[in-house]
Order: sequence, then structure tokens, then C-alpha cells
Amino acid sequence: MEIVPREEWDNYPDIEIKLNVNGKDYKVKVKPYERLLDVLRYKLGLTGPKEGCGRGECGACSVIMDGKVVPSCLVLAVRADGSKILTVEGLAPEGKIHAIQKALLDTFAVQCGYCFPGFEMAIKALLDRTLDPTDEEIKEALSGNICRCGSYKRFMKAVKLAAKYIKEGKVYFDEEEVRR
Amino acid sequence: MVEVPEYVKIVEEIFDRYKGKEFLYIGRHIQRWDAVEKIKGKALFTADFLKYYRNFVWVHSVRTRYAHARIKGIDYSEALKYPGVLRVITAKDIPGVNDVGYVIPDQPLLVESKARFIGDILALIVAEDPYVAREAEELIRVNYEKLPVITDPLQVIDLRTLEEKEHPLIHEERGSDIITHFKIRKGDVEKAVKDADVVVEGEYETPFQEHAYLEPEATIATPEPDGGVTLISSTQCPFDVRKIVAKVLGVTQNKVRVIVPAVGGGFGGKEDVADELGAKAALAAVLTGRPAVAIHTREESMIGHSKRHPMKAWYRHAATRDGKLLAVEANIVLDTGAYASLGPFVAWRATVHSTGPYRTESARVDTKAVYTNNVYAGAFRGFGGPQTAFAVERQMDLLAEELGMDPVDLRLKNILREGDRTVHGQLLTAEHGVGLEEALRKAVEAAKWYEKRKAYSSQTGVLRKGIGVALMYHGNSIGVEGADYSSATLIVNRDGSITFRTGLMDMGQGALWGLVLIAAEILGVPPQYFKVEYPDTASTPDAGPTVASRSTVMGGAATVNAAYKLRQRLNYVASKILGCPESEIEIKAPDVYCRSDPSKKTKWMEVVEQSFWLGIPLQEFGYFRAPPAEWNEETGQGAPYVTYTFGAIIAEVTVDTETGGVKVDRIITSYDIGKVINRVGAELHSEGGAIQGLGYALMEEIVHDSEGRVKNPNLSTYYVPTIYDAPDEIVSLWVEAGYRRGPFGAKGLGEPSINAIAPAIVNAVSHATGVRYNSIPLTPEKVFLGLKKAGKIRL
Repeated sequence: MEIVPREEWDNYPDIEIKLNVNGKDYKVKVKPYERLLDVLRYKLGLTGPKEGCGRGECGACSVIMDGKVVPSCLVLAVRADGSKILTVEGLAPEGKIHAIQKALLDTFAVQCGYCFPGFEMAIKALLDRTLDPTDEEIKEALSGNICRCGSYKRFMKAVKLAAKYIKEGKVYFDEEEVRR
Repeated sequence: MVEVPEYVKIVEEIFDRYKGKEFLYIGRHIQRWDAVEKIKGKALFTADFLKYYRNFVWVHSVRTRYAHARIKGIDYSEALKYPGVLRVITAKDIPGVNDVGYVIPDQPLLVESKARFIGDILALIVAEDPYVAREAEELIRVNYEKLPVITDPLQVIDLRTLEEKEHPLIHEERGSDIITHFKIRKGDVEKAVKDADVVVEGEYETPFQEHAYLEPEATIATPEPDGGVTLISSTQCPFDVRKIVAKVLGVTQNKVRVIVPAVGGGFGGKEDVADELGAKAALAAVLTGRPAVAIHTREESMIGHSKRHPMKAWYRHAATRDGKLLAVEANIVLDTGAYASLGPFVAWRATVHSTGPYRTESARVDTKAVYTNNVYAGAFRGFGGPQTAFAVERQMDLLAEELGMDPVDLRLKNILREGDRTVHGQLLTAEHGVGLEEALRKAVEAAKWYEKRKAYSSQTGVLRKGIGVALMYHGNSIGVEGADYSSATLIVNRDGSITFRTGLMDMGQGALWGLVLIAAEILGVPPQYFKVEYPDTASTPDAGPTVASRSTVMGGAATVNAAYKLRQRLNYVASKILGCPESEIEIKAPDVYCRSDPSKKTKWMEVVEQSFWLGIPLQEFGYFRAPPAEWNEETGQGAPYVTYTFGAIIAEVTVDTETGGVKVDRIITSYDIGKVINRVGAELHSEGGAIQGLGYALMEEIVHDSEGRVKNPNLSTYYVPTIYDAPDEIVSLWVEAGYRRGPFGAKGLGEPSINAIAPAIVNAVSHATGVRYNSIPLTPEKVFLGLKKAGKIRL
């Protein structure tokens, strides 16, 4: 790869990348130094993923990229070229609520909500691997996400409940019904 | 005798009327209003709004390189030439007053002559993007004259004499680096100590704790044509932001509008720093004529906003052989860092609670807060409570040990009950609601305390279990810190939906939902009918700050007032429609009927519509002000708070004696909060406070090096509890010894939920190991060295 001195970055042509985000194809022009997180948030308007630390330490910006949970603050947008990305916005279709989200509601886990988009991605990746996670597996899967409000005990319960829903074939719930 | 205001009478009337009644919404598990938006990732936090903005500028703070230095000059001419830089703002560009101090005007927004800690800001770079701003910072030349750095408060003050030591002054303009001195003087302490059968004393240390709310500070400012600004701000105190921004800009407060969207945690940390961000963004917006964004990185957040005050304290307790407390003596030093922030108030609250929830014949307490060159300390959940609770509850365990008494029995002998007087001479009556004994007994029973305490007392082997108890009490709302008022507005719309507004905000634990449940209960309308508006200084009167566990108590009492008056008018209209007396009207939206004859019925919508045609207004504003508190500066006698929340915590731990590692197995919290209003919120506070308290007990500490630099300014070096650290079980128990002047009897819980966690855990570790620990965070290293020093392990 060609090395471009910083002072010339702004003169350097934007790079066009292709992303498939939440099932939709995008072509986006990005700077070589732009982070995937900023592209998702400010170019695609997907502000579900949050910035908590910018160093991959808190998990608030987690997205699933080609099947793996990644902190999108540590992924350069150009490195995501050609990837398939899932954010919290893509977890359930419009008007629906995913089993993971239903379980988080049922366990009354919601506090400030800043960590949720990241936690939900971590839970999704775990449940894609197994629908019978042990306590240890749940802790391992969620250990990269910080919840400062302290809903951890509820996350433990919610993961198991979500797994149960999915096993029962209840992947999506009607949002209107849930709200009632 | 002072006349009791109507708004207090209404709260008392509602308390009396509903006592013992079955509730529809109060105390039930009801999903908060914004839960679906939050799990869907749709809730908008401050930075999220940027996706709707164009043409905005970034504000970057240039911070000092040295923690203590005179600023001889700032040359930013080169930075100004850097492509993409629009403006560099320094102190001389501030149109109004260059001060963001909270209690004392000691904190410049932009440093002019002297930097006092590593987060001090010298200049603001306003640029087209944050990358450009950071690069331009390297072109700024600052001429520093380095000064000696003080990071240890005991360089400023002597712990035993509490006299100021000779040292280079940090705030020479004040002539002293001691900012406050609070006292308690009660009875004859010297005589009590001399007459006592047992005396225990100890020195205690607690650390700087970082809030580590997951959403770093953020503000967006939009310039307005009249010279003012509109801010979207992640703050707990929109009206404080308005006040400070108006002061810095030199405009009247009605030209500054502050909107608070979803906030990603606060815990007390988003009080004064939000004023600073508001002022930074507002300055940039006004000076460039474009929307301006100030967002802190995690590192900036950690070096740039207030922390929990570290405490160093010396305590002496004296008691009779049968365990009756005779005297408590304490010297308490709080390190407020470079600026006072809320330090004076924290020091006062620490003093008020410095002897714990116990009766004592005599007491002598002196608390002083001092400046250092550390990051400034201010408000943090507990507000002086966790520090003194740690010392007091360790002392109580030492006393039990010396007396050969069970720690629970010793506490039961001395705790505050109805009819007792606090150390300040305040008489606790039935109206206050004093449920400490019940809380302790519930926790003891749930924990199987006596069984386990005995079983764990004779262990051998590498892994040892321990069980510890700690009690707390916590004055509700702000006491003598200031005028204690709140307000709320209810608006019934033409379609029967209801708009709820208050200047209080939700920092994540759902406080506002409790207020909606209160209104729903009184009006007879399900919570789903309500829309909770984001706080906006343009649409709601000042409701006071969202601090001091005051939302449910103070905001709730204001909501009771609004709902009560609205309900009276609705009853009047329904009575006109149905032809039965107003007192007979039952509202259970969507139905409205006569209680004695339910066949006489109409619809909620009809009552709303008829009100409109009859000219009966369906908006109501509720106001509440707490009765004034009393405090004698010389003796600490009076009635410092309107009432107290009480709590008992029992923690069980497993200690690995080979590594010093502590695993918290179980925490039982048992709180008397008068009345559980928002049950989900209460449980989440109990759990969240327990986990944050666990962090405080075992792992959290901001560390400064000798030059005043923060050594661990991010989340990989400052440890907060993860899902691995959370206890296996947290049990939340409730006592409801109603407070007559709280909404339905409620008291506050936000802050109390952290106060006694750390001492309960440390008492359990000391029980498991037989080693007396007196310093937190109780890291594996400290546990291990303690064991080694006590000869409990062989190496």
C-alpha cells in the first residue's frame, strides 16, 4: 500500500468502499484514516453503535463484521471494504423486536441504554454459535462490554431467555404488541 | 410556628389517604417509557444528533502540559494558519466572566495565568474536523514556569492536628489551600473516652473514584440570532448549564436554551463538567456563527471531570463493655484536587454522616477539604457518604472484635430508632420513617447471618469465605446546601394523551418514570398515556438539579401537587357529566364512573373534551419546596436533612489466600426508602449501586504520578467491574417506613445505593482472613501483603 504523508491526506482522493450493512448495499467515499464507527454513524446515519472509549475497551461500538464481533472504533473503514456488517438497527426488521431485545425488556434490564447496542451484538454472536450457553460462556462472550449502570445480572438472565425464545422459534416479536 | 405551605399539606394528605391501599402503578414492575427505543438503538444521545447537523465546527481543548505551572504566554499564531483551523480562543476572548466554579468562583474556564492540574484548559481550537484540531495543537507554543506539584493532601494539612502545613500555595489568591472546615461538637468526648471500657482507633484511606459513565461528555451548541445559543447537552443540571453559559457569554439566561436528550450515565459526574462543555461549545458557536461540537474522548473525560474525593481519616470510638457507644472522634481530610467544585458540599455531607446511623453520647468531628494539584473532585453518587461509611463501619467491626461481640449485635445495640436523636440532636419521629432495625433484621435473616458468621470463623485452606455487614443512613435531597425546590408540569392534550415535563432529567436509572407512575396513580390514567418530554429550559421552569437522590422525593412531591390539582378539576367535570358528587368520581382510563353507581359512566376522552368546552384548563404546574434545614456551624447541631434513607448491606466473599484475590459471592441490600415507587428503578439502583460499590471496594482508583499526571486515564488501566466481577447474586430487600412529606411516603435511593457496599465487602474480607484492612481499593496486592504481614501465610 502507498504511504501518504499526513499533510497530503486532505488532498488525497477519497476511497470508495463497498459495505453491506444490515442487508443493504452501500457505496461510501471515505478518507484513509476514517473509522468504521464514524462511517456507520455519520455517513450512514446508523447511530446505534456508540463511542465509549475509542480504544476497543468498552464494547459500546461493537458490530458484527463477517460473523465476528468487532469494536468498530478500531476498524478503519477501508479495512471493512466488501464486508457484511450487522448493527443493532439490523437486528430486527422495522416494526419487529428481536428475541434478544424482547428478553432484555422482559428482564427489565434497560437503564441508560448506552451500552445496549454493543451488548446486543455480543449476545447475537454468542447465540449464533450456541443456543445452550453455559454461565461461563455467557460471561466470556459479554466480558468485552461494560455496563456502568450495572445490569449484568439481568444480562445473564436475558441471554438464557433469548436462547429459549429462539429455540421455540420465536425470533421476532411484534413491536406494537410488546409496547402494549 | 411557621405555617405549613399548601404544597406540603397536599403531599401529607395524599400520604395519609393512600396508606395501606392497593396501588395500580406505584411499586409495580412497569417498563420504562423509552425501553423499546433504547433496545432498538434508536434513542438519541447528544453526539447522535450530529447526523442531523451540517456545517458544524469542532472544539478541541488544549490542556496544560504541567499540573502546576505559571503560564507566561501562549503563542498560537502558527496553529491559526493550519488549514482547517478557524479560530483559537483564549481567556481574553471570553465576553463574559471566565469562571466555571460551582460553589466557589475558583475555576477559570480557560486558564489565564496559572495551571493547577493536568486537565486545565489553556485554549480552545475551533476547527473543521477533530483531526485538524488535534494536529494544530502541536503548533501552539506555551511558555510555562513550572511550580512544585502537590499530589498528597497530607503535604497541605496534618491529619492529627488538621493544621495547614508550610507548602507552596496552589490558590495563593485565597491565602490558604484549606477550603472548608465543618464540625460536630456534642457532649464531653474526653471524659467519655477516659470512662470507656474499650477504645478503638484507626486510620482509613479511600481513593479517587471515576464515574466512568459510558457516554463521555458531549455538547452541541447552535448560535441564535439574538446572540444567545441553544445547547443539546449531556448534563444532570440543565439550569446550571444555562446559568454558567449565560455568565461566560455575558448574556441573560433567557438567551441560553439547554435541552437534555438521552444521557448515558451520570452518577454525579455530569454536573459541573457539563457547564464547562456548554461554555466551550457556546463560545465557539457565538464566535464562529456556526454550530459547534464539544465531545470529550475517554482520556479527556477521565482527566478533565470531577472525581470522588479521596479521604484520609483518623477515627476513635469508645464504648462500654456491653457495647454501648460513648464517643466518636474523627479527623477527616478530603482531597478536592485543583478546584473546589462541589467539594464544600461533599465535605459537609461527609461530616453530617461521619458517625454513622448510631446513637452516641458524645462526638467530636472535624472535616477539612484541601486543594492539591490532582484532578478536581466533586459530586459522585454518595457524595461524601461512602468515604465516611467505610471508616465508621470498619470501626464498628473493630469495636465488635475488641468486645468479643457479634458485629450485628453491636450494631443493633446502637442503631437509630424512632424517638432517638441523631448526633446532630435531630429527633427522629414516625413522620420521618425510621426503618433501620427492620432493614437490618431482614438482611440478617435473608443472609442466614449468624449461621454463616460462625461457620466461616473456623476455616483453614487456601480459599476462605467471609461474611460482613455494614449500615448506612443518608440525608435526603440537599439539606442546607441550598434552596431545595422542584417542579413538574402535566398537560392533558385534546386527544386524552398526557405530556409530562420537568427540569429534572433521567441519567439512566429511570427517575422520571417514578414521577409518571405517581401522576398515573393519582389521575387514574395508565402510564402508557404519558409522554416524558426531554428537559428543556425553554419549556419548563427550573426544577433544581438532578442530584442528591432528590428526583423521586422532591420531583415526586411536585408531581403529587400537579396531579392532585388536575384530578380535582377532572373530578369536577366528570361530576357535571355523570351527576354524582366529585368525591364519588372514579377515573380508570379509558373509563370514568361513579363509585357508588358504576352504571353511571363515561369515557376519559369525553371528560377531556367536556373540560375543553367548559373552559376548564387541563394543564397544571406543581411546585414543592422542602422545609428549611438547620445547621449550627460551630457545633454541627440542628436538623441537617428533612429525612434519611436507611440501609443494611451484607456481603459474602471468597478470598484466595495465595493470590489475594477476592470474589464477591453475594450481596444483600436492604433499604428503607419509605415507599417503593418505581420498583424496576429501585431494583436497578440496588444492583447498580452494589456493583459500582464493589468496584470502589476492590479495584477502582485514579492514580496520579508525582508530576500530577493521571497514570490510568482509560478503561484498560482504570478497572471498572465487568460481568466477571459482578457478584453471583444480588438480593434486594425493601422496607417501607413511610416518610410523611415524601410522595406516597417515598425517600431517595440513588446515592444511598453505593454508600455501605465497600465496608460490607471489606468487613467480609477481614472476617475471612482475620486481617484488619483499612484502605480501599482492597486490591489483591493489599490483601496478600496484609496476610503476609499478619503472618497468616508462609512463603
